[in-house]
Amino acid sequence: MRRLFAALAVVAFATAAQAHNLNVFAFVEDGTVVVETKFSTGKIPVSGEVRVLNAASEVVLTLPLQEDGTVRFPLDPDAASGGLTIEVMTGEGHDDYWILTPEDIANGSES
Amino acid sequence: MNLTRRAALALIISTAALPVAAQDRPVVATDNYPLAYFAERLGGEGVDVLFTVPGDVDPSFWRPGIADITAIQAADVIALNGAGFSTWPTKASLPRSRTFDTTAGLSDRLIQTDTVTHSHGDDGEHSHEATANYVWLDFELAQQQAAAIAEAMTRQMPDLAETITSSRDGLMGDLAALDAQGRAIGDMADLPPVVTSHPRYQYLGAAYGLDISALEWDANMDPTPDQWAALEALVAQTGAKVFVWEAEPSPGARARMAEIGLTDVVFPPLANRPAAGDFVSVMQASLTTLSEAFDAL
Repeated sequence: MRRLFAALAVVAFATAAQAHNLNVFAFVEDGTVVVETKFSTGKIPVSGEVRVLNAASEVVLTLPLQEDGTVRFPLDPDAASGGLTIEVMTGEGHDDYWILTPEDIANGSES
Repeated sequence: MNLTRRAALALIISTAALPVAAQDRPVVATDNYPLAYFAERLGGEGVDVLFTVPGDVDPSFWRPGIADITAIQAADVIALNGAGFSTWPTKASLPRSRTFDTTAGLSDRLIQTDTVTHSHGDDGEHSHEATANYVWLDFELAQQQAAAIAEAMTRQMPDLAETITSSRDGLMGDLAALDAQGRAIGDMADLPPVVTSHPRYQYLGAAYGLDISALEWDANMDPTPDQWAALEALVAQTGAKVFVWEAEPSPGARARMAEIGLTDVVFPPLANRPAAGDFVSVMQASLTTLSEAFDAL
């Protein structure tokens, strides 16, 4: 399953590269939500804000992006029961999002 | 179909208030109206077509919710326009075995648009090209997109193969007729240059010999004085005689267009579902209007 997510990440980054934007990818691994970000130029954003929204579009968590362009946080099964939307805003005015559906979360939790 | 996909399909059906009998029908999800129309024509009553972009939203910029993506993930076929038409497919995990890019085989026919140069952050100034993506406005390419959907549906829904095969000819015939209508316009003598309200018509122009210059006007707002001035300058520069709106303008805007000396026509590119009619009937009417505008010059 992890290999599948990795492959999807590559596809997502490759497809969006034409748009010259920030690309966000998120997945669940061993009870942790992992968020990865990259500009379509290949560069890694060094700062930014990550907002986690539940199915009701309520912000349930706000975190700073780490210097390696990633952030990790423990999966809260209650908040994530209807899925999560991960929004990332970088200091350079770029933003992007990734949607984790309940099925994505269930599949990741099984890995 | 596994249990999770069944649950998601049930969600789609309850959301759309479809009859209970529809629950077993396979689902085709699309990212624009032309593809939804092709799937509807091909599958008929045998499929449910999932295209949930609200009517007042440009499908290219639609941001789906979690429930939308859950439903799309559960579809039997996810047919995408490709050519960078929509961004949401790159913002969620879609099942690769059920996701089809209808322009994947058309890479040599795609039109690159002007290079955009800009800068941000520490990257300095840089450029990139974009791809024009209203591909279906070349109705020969629309046939190829429809063929790609037919092939994907046949592969994923073998029980419907006979239905798809029998509907395919009718759809292809209608698209070929639109193509012939477009070519008839292209065959008219001395076509003057055309200005469009938005850069949507690259494939229409390339397929049917129209010399098109595009503006970036908001479809739902009257042009500003600066925008009118830019249009007049463009008309002086190109000698354009015809103006194409992507949506019905205000009466005042049409009157101003006449004052400038332009014959204006409304030609909805139909990325989203029309309020009345369907893909073929609206395109037929638009091509007729365009032809009559040239004829009257």
